[in-house]
This record gives sequence, structure tokens and C-alpha cells, in this order.
Amino acid sequence: MRLALILPFCALPAFADVDRALDTHILPAQTELADTTQALADTAQADCTPQAVRPAFHIAYDAWISISHIQFGPLEDQALTLPMSFWPDPKDSTGKALARLTAARDPIVDDPDNFDDVSAAAQGFTALERMLYDPQPDADYACRLTQAIATGLARKSEAITHDWPAFADLMRSAGTDGNTRFQDEDEARRALYTALSTGLQFLHDQRLGRPLGTFDRPRPRRAEARRSERTLRHIQLQLAALETLATAMTDTDLTQTRTAFAEARQRAKTLDDPALQDVADPARRFKVEVLQQAVRAVQVAMINEIGTPLGISAGFNSLDGD
Amino acid sequence: MPSRRAFLAGLASASVTPTLGWSDVGNPIALSAAMTPEGQHVLVGLSVTGAITFQLPLPARGHAAAAHPHLAEAVAIARRPGTFAKVINCATGHVAQTLTAPFGHHFYGHGAFSADGALLFTTENEIATGQGRIGVWDRSAGYTRLDAFASAGIGPHEILRLPGGMLAVANGGIRTHPDTGRDKLNLDTMRPNLALFDTGGQLTDLAEGPAAEHLNSLRHISVGTNGTIACGFQWQGDPFEAPALVGLYKGNGTLIPAHINDLTLRQLDGYIGSVSAFGTHIAASAPRGGHMLTFDQSGAETGVHRAADVCGLCSTPQNSCLVTDGFGHVYTLSDADLTLRAKHPLAFDNHLVALTAA
Repeated sequence: MRLALILPFCALPAFADVDRALDTHILPAQTELADTTQALADTAQADCTPQAVRPAFHIAYDAWISISHIQFGPLEDQALTLPMSFWPDPKDSTGKALARLTAARDPIVDDPDNFDDVSAAAQGFTALERMLYDPQPDADYACRLTQAIATGLARKSEAITHDWPAFADLMRSAGTDGNTRFQDEDEARRALYTALSTGLQFLHDQRLGRPLGTFDRPRPRRAEARRSERTLRHIQLQLAALETLATAMTDTDLTQTRTAFAEARQRAKTLDDPALQDVADPARRFKVEVLQQAVRAVQVAMINEIGTPLGISAGFNSLDGD
Repeated sequence: MPSRRAFLAGLASASVTPTLGWSDVGNPIALSAAMTPEGQHVLVGLSVTGAITFQLPLPARGHAAAAHPHLAEAVAIARRPGTFAKVINCATGHVAQTLTAPFGHHFYGHGAFSADGALLFTTENEIATGQGRIGVWDRSAGYTRLDAFASAGIGPHEILRLPGGMLAVANGGIRTHPDTGRDKLNLDTMRPNLALFDTGGQLTDLAEGPAAEHLNSLRHISVGTNGTIACGFQWQGDPFEAPALVGLYKGNGTLIPAHINDLTLRQLDGYIGSVSAFGTHIAASAPRGGHMLTFDQSGAETGVHRAADVCGLCSTPQNSCLVTDGFGHVYTLSDADLTLRAKHPLAFDNHLVALTAA
């Protein structure tokens, strides 16, 4: 369900601190992604068995989930969003793409310079999870495919991280002559706010909403990263990352937002269900619903305390279309 | 220069609605509904540079407007399931008249004038049956209700006058009932289409998408100078399974899907807000996904831009596309570039209505 709020939009009293969001959140998190995916690639090269790769996989996946809400910038410009992680995937594109490569024993896995030509669904963390947690009948090919995905993730992450400082300069110089990317000073703030609001909506509608389905038709198999039991972890990591972004991008009073984040954090912490498989149990499902409601409360607080003071909360068309 | 017939039509109705031409209200190229920071709903005229040529209060939030082809007169139509439409003199701001949907009907939010400006057509729901109807109103007789004909589908939304005077109707396919608000009552069986009519209301062509994509609700349409009709869809299924949300109609009962790259398509929430055929290209706005898209005549993507809460689109006489958003920005769009032109203390509403007569 979409937030049915029509809010008045005001003049611009507050300045979103674009510098602070870049320097304390985006740039360090991007470097973390590059470092951890390189460690993942090195690990897989040394020993490609699932048992050996899993610890580095978890650390690198954590880093990705902690920055994946920043969808604008180099990630988007290099068209790497889906190659990094292909989810939601209702048509099982990942399973099909991996099965095709494996059935053909496609030698492209031995060609790191061209591995990005394969289906985006076979390139990212969602694909690597399958390799590490699903049975692999062809161990030799699975090893090479695991290495190819891990190496590809490191290369992609490095390419994105490499371009971020220059992109950050464009955000810092929004509205100056010749800056066609951010044509007025609000645009950089709006990009950050969009990342925040889109991230919260993705958390509510997809990461929580997809497995919840409806009471009559819960969809536990739609839970993200259920094979590696990372579903709840992704929710917690994204909450933490979005809270960091929210507190960095504004100087306005965030009492309501902080309280709402704390409540959501607490609800997630007490949820003893890492892959959200209890959504199909009528007696336990409500705990996930309560967490989803807590995320909704964060969305409302964020609109009131960040969006409205920035004058960028209207959603006049997106909330009331036809 | 107004045609003789329009001039006579204007004279005939002068006693009811003394109306000047669009040049008398600053030569706007488009109309848009908007909301001021105080929450007042207004109707504005926009110039090609994004400047506001006039701003008039509206009694309530409308959806779209139908602009008279020659005279500074617009009919602002209620959001569905509203039953009123306001005839507005854009020179004075005076609400010249209020049209009320016939008993048992409600409006769907869009309307179009005939080429000579004598007739107004409105998309309507015949509530008891759920069948779409096109209401015909006689402007020259003080907007009396003249007739109605079947829209050839359920849930007709945008209606368009084509070059040559024919009409095109986007039948969204979704049945709603005022008793249940905007609840969708027939998703299992919905079958949207694009219906073409001659000036007498006779159906001349009907184009449907593939049966497997019957959840793709056609809502908005726009015609280019070459007669191609751009189609904007709203997918009623899982947004991560959405098919093409933009299509082209070039005749023969066929909708040609445009190509949207996978990543962008997944970000659109299955929702296109407006389309515009401009110059040799087609624009589509995605307010929920925060994207502006452009396509060439084959449906190949030529531009993808992030633009939050963007929605209103219309072609300009310079063959570019005027774009508005909920933050008060006015942009112009070419085949590849989106350029900021102006910012106003307004939230522009869903639709821009071009005043360049077809």
C-alpha cells in the first residue's frame, strides 16, 4: 500500500548536508564494498568450495546491502544495478541463467574480461548465493562459475567506487555553471532524499511485503536471500544504512525519525526468524507484520521531519495518480 | 487565425460565455492544474519557456482539462469518480458553467473538443453496467447533453482528437464502482484496448495487447503529427514482471511495444503517468518510479532521465516536449536531453494539455 499522504510543501529553510552524507556515509560505504568484494574474489581464487567462500560472501554481501540504496550515480551510469544483485526475481531469471551456463559448461567463466556479457541475473550476489547454497552436481564447473561471479563482483565494485569521487564533486557543485547533472542546488538533496524514501519503500513493499504476501496467501519462498538465511539481516542492515543517511543529510530535528528507527530496529532484533519463513505460520506471522508497520512509521516520520522541511516531500503526482 | 466556423460558434455562444482567444491570455502553449503552497487549486497557462501566462483559482482539484481549439476556454474535469466539470473562461477566471454527468454516470477525468470546438467529448462510466461511454456535449447550445456512445470497452480514461477529426479512446479495462471507490472489481477478466472512432461515434478500429498482458491497463494516449498514437500503460500485476509500459499504434488493430531497458522498467512501479508524441519522438513520464523516458518511432529508447514526481507532458510548437513535476519545475525534453526551464511555487498536477490544435 502506498502512503496516502498529501502534505503541504513549504519554502526551503533547512540545508541538507550533501557533503556530510557523502563523506560520512556514501564514500566510506563504497570503499567498504570495493575492499570486501576484492577479499571475496581472492578467497574464491584460493579455495572455491562453498564452505571456504561463504564467510567472505557474507561480509561482502553485508557491504553491498549497506550501500545498495544509493541507486543513482556511477552504479546507474554504468548499468550495474542488476548485475550486482538481481532481486526481486519472480520469474527465477537467476536460476534459469545459471542452469543455462552450467548445462553448456560455457567457457566464458574462464574469461573475466567478458564475463559481464552473461545475463545480469547470473552475475551478482543473488547468483553467488545459489552457487554457495544450492547443490551443485558439476563441482568443477561450479567452482569456476563461483570464481567468475566473485571476480566480477570485485571488478564491478571497483569500477563504481573509482567513479564516486568525481560524481561526489558534481553533487557538491550542484547549480554551478556547466553542471548539467545537478542543474539546481535542490537536485543533489533531492537525489539523497529519493534514495532514502525509495529505500524505505523497498524495505516495506519488497523485502518485507513480498514474503508476507497476504494472510490467505503468504509467500515464504519469495523472501530475499532465504537460502543463506540473510533475509532479516538485509532488513537490519538496510535500516541501519538508511538511518545513517537520514541523520547525515539534514540538520533538522529528527526526534520522531530516530524514535521510529529505534522501534523498527528493536522489532527486527526480537524477530527470531532469519529467513522470514514464519510468515506462513498464522501464530507467528504477526511479528513480521508489526515490523512492517514499524517501517511504515519510519516513512511517515521521515516525510514529516526531513522531506517537508526540505520542501521535497510533495509526491503530488506519484501519490495520487490515475 | 480562428476558422470562420469557430468564429461563428464563438459568436453563437457569446451571450453565454463571452470568450477571448488564447492570444488574449498571453499565448500559452499548455494548460495545467496545480496547487499553491497555501493549498489552493489553480489552473495555469504555460509558455514555451515555462513561464506562467495566467493563473486562475479552481473550485477543487481536477484531473485533466479539455482546451477549446481556438477560444480561451477550458473544461476542467473532476477526478474519477467525480460527476462535475467546470467550464472556465481563461481570460477572466470566471466559471462560466458547471457540467454534471447524467444520472447513473460519472466522469473518468479526461475530455476532448471536436476540431471546430462545437462539441465536447467526455469519458464516462455507466455505473449500473460498468460499460464505458463517451458523452457528447453541444458547446454551441450552452453545453447541453447531446448524445452518448459506447467507448468499446470498460474504464475509458483519456480521449483524444486525431488529425482529421477522428477520436481515440484509451479503455483502461478496469471496472470500478463509486460505492467501492477506486477498488478494482474485474482484474481477472479485464481487457484494455485502444478504440478509434469517426466523428459520428462509429468504431473504426480496435487495438488490444496480447492476452497474456491483459493486466496492462491503457490509460493515456497522445497523437503525433504523423498520426502515430503513443500509449502509456499501468500494469496491475507484480511490478517486477511488468511488460512494456509504452506502446505505439500505427493502425491495423496493432499495438507495437516500445523497448524499456530491464533496470529502468523494474524501477517504474509498473506505472506510466502521461505520454506525449512530440516532433519525431515519444515521451513517457513515470511519477512513481521518478523517471522520464523518450523513444523513437520504432519504440527504441533514446533517453532515460531520473526526475522525481514528474508527470505532465505535452508537445510544443517547436517539436520539443514540455514537462512538469510536483515540485513546480518546468523542463523541456528533446529526443535525448531534459533541460530545466523554470521553477514556480506550485505543485503541477498530473496532466499538461496542449493548446496546439490538432
